[in-house]
Amino acid sequence: MENIGESLPKEIKLGGILVGLDIVEALGVEKEFAGRPILRDVSFTIREGSINGLLGPNGAGKTTMIRLLNGVIDATSGTMKVMDYDPKTHGDEIRKRAGIVTESAALYHDMSAWDNLVFFSRVYNAYDPKRIRQLLQQFEMLDKKDQLVGTFSTGMKKRITLAKALLHKPRLLFLDEPTNGLDPEGINDVIHYLKQVNEEEKVTIVICSHVLHQLETICDSFLFLNGGRIIEKGTRSELEDKYLSEIKLMVETGLQPADSRNFLGYPYIRVSPTQLEFTLAAKEEITRLLQGILNESWVHSCEITNRSLEALYFKIRGESHE
Amino acid sequence: MNKQIISAIARKDLKATFSSKKVWVPMIILPLLLCIIFPAVFSYFGLHTGIMIADGAKDLEKPINAFIESFPNSDMRDTLVALPTLGLKSVYYFLNFMMIPFFLIVAIINSMVTSSNSFAGEKERNTLETLLFAPISVAELFVGKVIASLIPSVVITFAAFVLNAVIVNIIAYPYFKEVLFINANWLILMFWVIPTLVLFNIVLNVLVSARVKSFQEAQQFGGLMVLPVVGIIVSQASGFFFLSPLVLLLIGAGFLIGNAFLLKLITKFNQRNALFESQIH
Repeated sequence: MENIGESLPKEIKLGGILVGLDIVEALGVEKEFAGRPILRDVSFTIREGSINGLLGPNGAGKTTMIRLLNGVIDATSGTMKVMDYDPKTHGDEIRKRAGIVTESAALYHDMSAWDNLVFFSRVYNAYDPKRIRQLLQQFEMLDKKDQLVGTFSTGMKKRITLAKALLHKPRLLFLDEPTNGLDPEGINDVIHYLKQVNEEEKVTIVICSHVLHQLETICDSFLFLNGGRIIEKGTRSELEDKYLSEIKLMVETGLQPADSRNFLGYPYIRVSPTQLEFTLAAKEEITRLLQGILNESWVHSCEITNRSLEALYFKIRGESHE
Repeated sequence: MNKQIISAIARKDLKATFSSKKVWVPMIILPLLLCIIFPAVFSYFGLHTGIMIADGAKDLEKPINAFIESFPNSDMRDTLVALPTLGLKSVYYFLNFMMIPFFLIVAIINSMVTSSNSFAGEKERNTLETLLFAPISVAELFVGKVIASLIPSVVITFAAFVLNAVIVNIIAYPYFKEVLFINANWLILMFWVIPTLVLFNIVLNVLVSARVKSFQEAQQFGGLMVLPVVGIIVSQASGFFFLSPLVLLLIGAGFLIGNAFLLKLITKFNQRNALFESQIH
């Protein structure tokens, strides 16, 4: 089985005890619905404490994967281990230790935020008013705790759903399209809260999404799912090393090169009077290029434009089709 | 099974039932009309006014007396024959026998309202998925939902029975010199047949609503439960098939066996995975 982070050790020693680092392991998982394959030969591992993006277009099988890992549906074949439990036989053990944010805000609209959280904490056998208060405070909803959830905006509902998923202090948190329907501010909030939860409570996070640019800053590693198959996986830098064959560097500068196509041997195109886009063979060439430009003019900014997750994603998809 | 989880689910559903006026107001209005106001008005006018012995009603006296004389139950026949007026005869017969189907209808309709909403309602609010993702068993979910449907239906029916008994007896006691509704037939009906019938109806509805796609479909199925009651109305009215204490005991036992059978079906068909794949898309 291949690891997302190849360079990371598979196990570490803590106080003389060998501790496995993989919180999720899937090997050759297949799922069919009515004879139609949804997932085909899916294998991956997820490191404890990491934030993982499970990315792919609609219908790629992301939600199915989350359901399989929680044992609410059964795989057709293959093996899975989540926190050392088999979802098929020990689903409840997994569900006790995992939190879930489903795509639709699954809350009771005719109940207050507080009553919703009290209900779900009882369902998870983890009723603790202090914990509910703390989560409402963390997600800045404490002052609205007595309002009916039905009166909340999509962003507020999402925050309550997030609090709901964390009531029982899960080790593992699954989020299915957590930013759907949110405005940019709401998206930033969710990303901010997720980072906080990951850092403060050491929760391993798996985020399913088809909106790639929102996850760039938050995920440690990525799984790309397409047509029910994992087409690529790895950390951001591993993916860049593999797929960035050339660097597109956008430089905001007053430089006016004598040659209209080359500067110091690097080809460029002029995007605007103060913006030039250079094509480089490797990141290492950036320093030499910038030194050369600075000898002649000013530089206000420079950015690699083809390293966005979206750009990588299309490249990966393109190559997997070939 | 975890009692805390079952009670959390039951309490949540009960709260939902009683926090929505659209749900609980009709649940109160129906028994109020059928089981309290209607029998009170009927007995008052039947006993206090001469409506029953008006000229028009005189024509009815012959066929009604003929019906009484051919009545299959001898005790009832003797009591009816002994009553002096047609008004008293009609009221006595109505209160003792024709009221039974009203209570059955109220119990069935009320339990249908709460139970057909149970799974289908969770599904329509997208909350069933979250519940199935929680570490609760499908059995705990079912039991919690059945309890939440059972309590309001049974309590409302009992309350209607008590109020009806008090009001009607206040009106009718001076005429009949006997306390109506406090006899073997009625007590077996209320405390044996109604609870087992309501439970059966609820379990059937919860089972059905866990299999069908929407609230409406669940109610359609629930509506079928009213049919046997129509049969009881007809048989009671014709005196053809008489609900004696023994028959009532047997009916209750039948429902109890039916419940055991349905519970077996539920555990067989509603594994979490089957429920998830059939209900969540």
